[in-house]
Amino acid sequence: MFKHEFFEKNSIFLTIGILVVVAIGGIVEIAPLYWLKSTIEEVKGMRPYSPLELAGRNIYIREGCYVCHSQQIRSLRDEVERYGHYSLAAESMYDHPFQWGSKRTGPDLARVGGRYSDEWHVAHMIDPRSIVPESIMPGYPFLAENKLSYEDIQGHLKANRTVGVPYTDEMIENAIADLEAQANPDEGDIDALQERYPKAVARVFDGDERRITELDALIAYLQMLGTLVEFDSFDAAANSR
Amino acid sequence: MPEGADMTDTGSRSRVETVDVAPVNKKENRSLYKKREKIYPKRAQGGFRKFKWFVMAVTLTIYYVTPWLRWDRGPNAPDQAVLIDLPGRRFYFFFIEIWPQEVFFIAGLLILAAMVLFLTAATVGRAWCGYSCPQTVWTDLFIAVERFWEGDRNARMRLDRAPASVGKFGKKLGKHISWLLIAVATGGAWVFYFADAPTLASELFALDAQFAAYVWIGILTAFTYVFGGFMREQVCTYMCPWPRIQAALADEDTLIVNYNVERGEPRGSHKAGESWEGRGDCVDCNQCVAVCPMGIDIRDGQQIECISCALCIDACNGVMEKVGRPPNLIGYSTLNMADQDARGETPRFRMFRGRTVLYAGMIALVGAIMLYALLTRSVMDIGVQHQRNPLFTTLSDGSIRNAYTVRITNKLHEDRTFRLRVEGLAGADVRRIGGDAGLPVFRVGPDTIESYRVFVTSPGPDVPASRDLEFVIEDLANGNTAITDSSFKGPQR
Amino acid sequence: MSDKREIDPVTGQETTGHEWDGIRELDTPMPRWWLWTFYATIAWSVAYMIAMPAIPLVSDYTKGVLGYSQRESVRMDIAEAREAQSGLRSRIEEASLEEILDVADLREFAVAGGQSAFAVNCSQCHGSGGAGAPGYPNLNDDAWVWGGSLERIHEIIRVGIRSEHPDTLFNEMPAFLKDELLPRDQVDDVVEYVLAISGQDHEVESADRGRGVFLEQCAACHMESGKGDRELGAPNLTDAIWLYGGDRESIWNTVADPRNGVMPNWDDKLDPVTRKQLAIYVHQLGGGE
Repeated sequence: MFKHEFFEKNSIFLTIGILVVVAIGGIVEIAPLYWLKSTIEEVKGMRPYSPLELAGRNIYIREGCYVCHSQQIRSLRDEVERYGHYSLAAESMYDHPFQWGSKRTGPDLARVGGRYSDEWHVAHMIDPRSIVPESIMPGYPFLAENKLSYEDIQGHLKANRTVGVPYTDEMIENAIADLEAQANPDEGDIDALQERYPKAVARVFDGDERRITELDALIAYLQMLGTLVEFDSFDAAANSR
Repeated sequence: MPEGADMTDTGSRSRVETVDVAPVNKKENRSLYKKREKIYPKRAQGGFRKFKWFVMAVTLTIYYVTPWLRWDRGPNAPDQAVLIDLPGRRFYFFFIEIWPQEVFFIAGLLILAAMVLFLTAATVGRAWCGYSCPQTVWTDLFIAVERFWEGDRNARMRLDRAPASVGKFGKKLGKHISWLLIAVATGGAWVFYFADAPTLASELFALDAQFAAYVWIGILTAFTYVFGGFMREQVCTYMCPWPRIQAALADEDTLIVNYNVERGEPRGSHKAGESWEGRGDCVDCNQCVAVCPMGIDIRDGQQIECISCALCIDACNGVMEKVGRPPNLIGYSTLNMADQDARGETPRFRMFRGRTVLYAGMIALVGAIMLYALLTRSVMDIGVQHQRNPLFTTLSDGSIRNAYTVRITNKLHEDRTFRLRVEGLAGADVRRIGGDAGLPVFRVGPDTIESYRVFVTSPGPDVPASRDLEFVIEDLANGNTAITDSSFKGPQR
Repeated sequence: MSDKREIDPVTGQETTGHEWDGIRELDTPMPRWWLWTFYATIAWSVAYMIAMPAIPLVSDYTKGVLGYSQRESVRMDIAEAREAQSGLRSRIEEASLEEILDVADLREFAVAGGQSAFAVNCSQCHGSGGAGAPGYPNLNDDAWVWGGSLERIHEIIRVGIRSEHPDTLFNEMPAFLKDELLPRDQVDDVVEYVLAISGQDHEVESADRGRGVFLEQCAACHMESGKGDRELGAPNLTDAIWLYGGDRESIWNTVADPRNGVMPNWDDKLDPVTRKQLAIYVHQLGGGE
């Protein structure tokens, strides 16, 4: 019916034809992930990002950290022994977009949370070479100077809810208070924060309690990475892929 | 069967006979969809053939003998002159020893080799292909073996056409067994570069060597047997990228094997006593085609198949001598020389041109850099990693301590003792874990890297957030030092 | 495509029948080696789909006849690596702590193994580098409440402090204010005295009054000098290191209502080899004696 001469002489139809053919491959590879139950593991401990962590994540994306750092520990022995348990799909389920990355100029960050001290992160962000002389990471000293702009954090939560992150009305309502409490626990309701976001760690991340900086948010995000899932209750055999 | 028994077409009589041979790889005869036509190269005799025997002897000797050369490096190192020690991560080459982090030496060596190859290609053309490429050397060797068992060109062709017989089977069997023996020896010699040759040899014969050794021997045996015995010229024409690359490296002043068209044409058979007036020197005997291992006719001009082995020069010169004409109707020449010759000028070979000078300069430059790097190669090294967590520790007396992992590399094959000191922090106490006061001294075994945990303590709590430090190790035997940078962290903001 | 075959007169090759501006396209066949490679890839893909997990179904996917699982294979890889370490592990089990320290390969293996066990089991409180936090001792420094020798560290890991283990190390600092053992003003005074002996700013008069209280109430464990007693687990109050904070408010809180923190015992949770590895690792962090 369709002679390929027809396609070759009508570029619009050729384009449509290519799209159809490529789409078949895409559908076969991608679409089943939406209905297969095995795509996302059932785990305990995953929760949406707290407002401060979400703000830190936005900075992570803004500064293009994903260009050099992956957040995906592959199921290979050397990676598991270096970085920790291999990443689960569940750990990225509240990521929009995910930060798996594709290139490791720097190390993988999927489980960097809790690995280094806050002071280390502060010094490292301000001047990476002061801590790791052989590092080629650029410095981000301005993060420690920039006041975190979080007036619109409720909007970020709402946007995430639109794409499927289960933020409740209560979470959105208290977003600003939660953010401030997590960055400065002496002047906020930590219990309420941890009620909404279990295991959320509240501290003065950047060592400066006078104000909430972008560095506070970024370190809060980094210190949370990979710490949420309770691997004690993770059934590796049932989630064998 | 001794070679040379079949001499009917080698022209022992004064008249030159025309060989019935088709250049199977001639452009017009060749098609990508056609099955390969077997080539029966005829034995050539002459100066170039002798030179090729010589090169073959030298290169094969180097290949087979090198792993057996010994080189005394003292008690803690292998005594094999050339050894690629993969498990130990060392490369030994006579007086040179390379660690994995110094692999740039090998990169430099490869660059140097490439430059030499470029220079060769720009001046004397495909000399590498024609004389010293392993494919050429081993194919030449395999053809010689074939000739020993089956005779020269015509005898071989007759044998292949002959019906199956015990005699034919015996000859073929002898040939293949000889080929396989050579192939096994080739693969066997290869693995000797990767382990102590005498040890490995006895292990191999006792069937006690590592499995990997047998696998590699097997692989190389198979490739030698197939490449040398069956694929031959196809490797050069279809598989090897070098003919394409060298086409870009050659120019009008590059030596090529060239047929002198002006002198040779019009060609035609010539009977003894006939006049040479009004005709070319080429008697159209096809000897140049018969000896060609690549299956081409050099009289068609430059072709990608031609590996410049110069056997056609030998063949043609032999004919020219018999018919009483000057030699080098086919000879080494450049395109410019051929033009000059055609114009009646004296052909002149231009060795020094922009690109050859450039290549030579680059060879000298890379060589000089390599030599410098080799002469100034350090035999000790220090690497320091500052402990990240915690960055610093406050001790009970209020002083601040930082921890470091110090890696000391000793590239010599003897025990060495190093003293560590720190510069840039007055009054600092440097000690290894559990060590006494006073600068720590480390004994590092031969040819090893050792890691140590080291503490640096600064008196008093008033230490700035960061301060630069230098770690210095000193070889107690000769006072040589190696230095690296690090930093000292403190609580002050 | 046209039905009748058209042969290009120059090359003798069949054409595709397409014509653009008078130029016709030859229908040159694929090289044979290329075609066979192509067929081989198709055959490979079919075999691969049968052998490996491949085809999505309604709620699951085909697992493939080989039953390959990436996660299972990494688990096996790691198990294999543990198996390969079994020689070193059994040597560590048999050796004494000092012997482990003396033998280079055992020590390195113990430190490496201790480090990973520490990251999994200890870092939650002591921090991943053993730097501690308020209430959780820093294991890098040279102050040890219960002693910092190799044996002592090993013992503490085994039995814990104020833990459920029958042999646990135990003491209890009284809650002087909460349990009304001391009136508020005497608590204030003794806090000033502790500030004084640790070389911090203090009210001289109050501290002088506190000295008597200290000798009476505290010296039994913390010693008259205030330097503490490791046998009893009483911290040195004169140095620069404080488990629960060394400022006036923190010390006051401790005297008034101490926390008496708990270190869990690992006797039944970790095997002897891991405990030895942990002891060696902690010992070399910097504070080991």
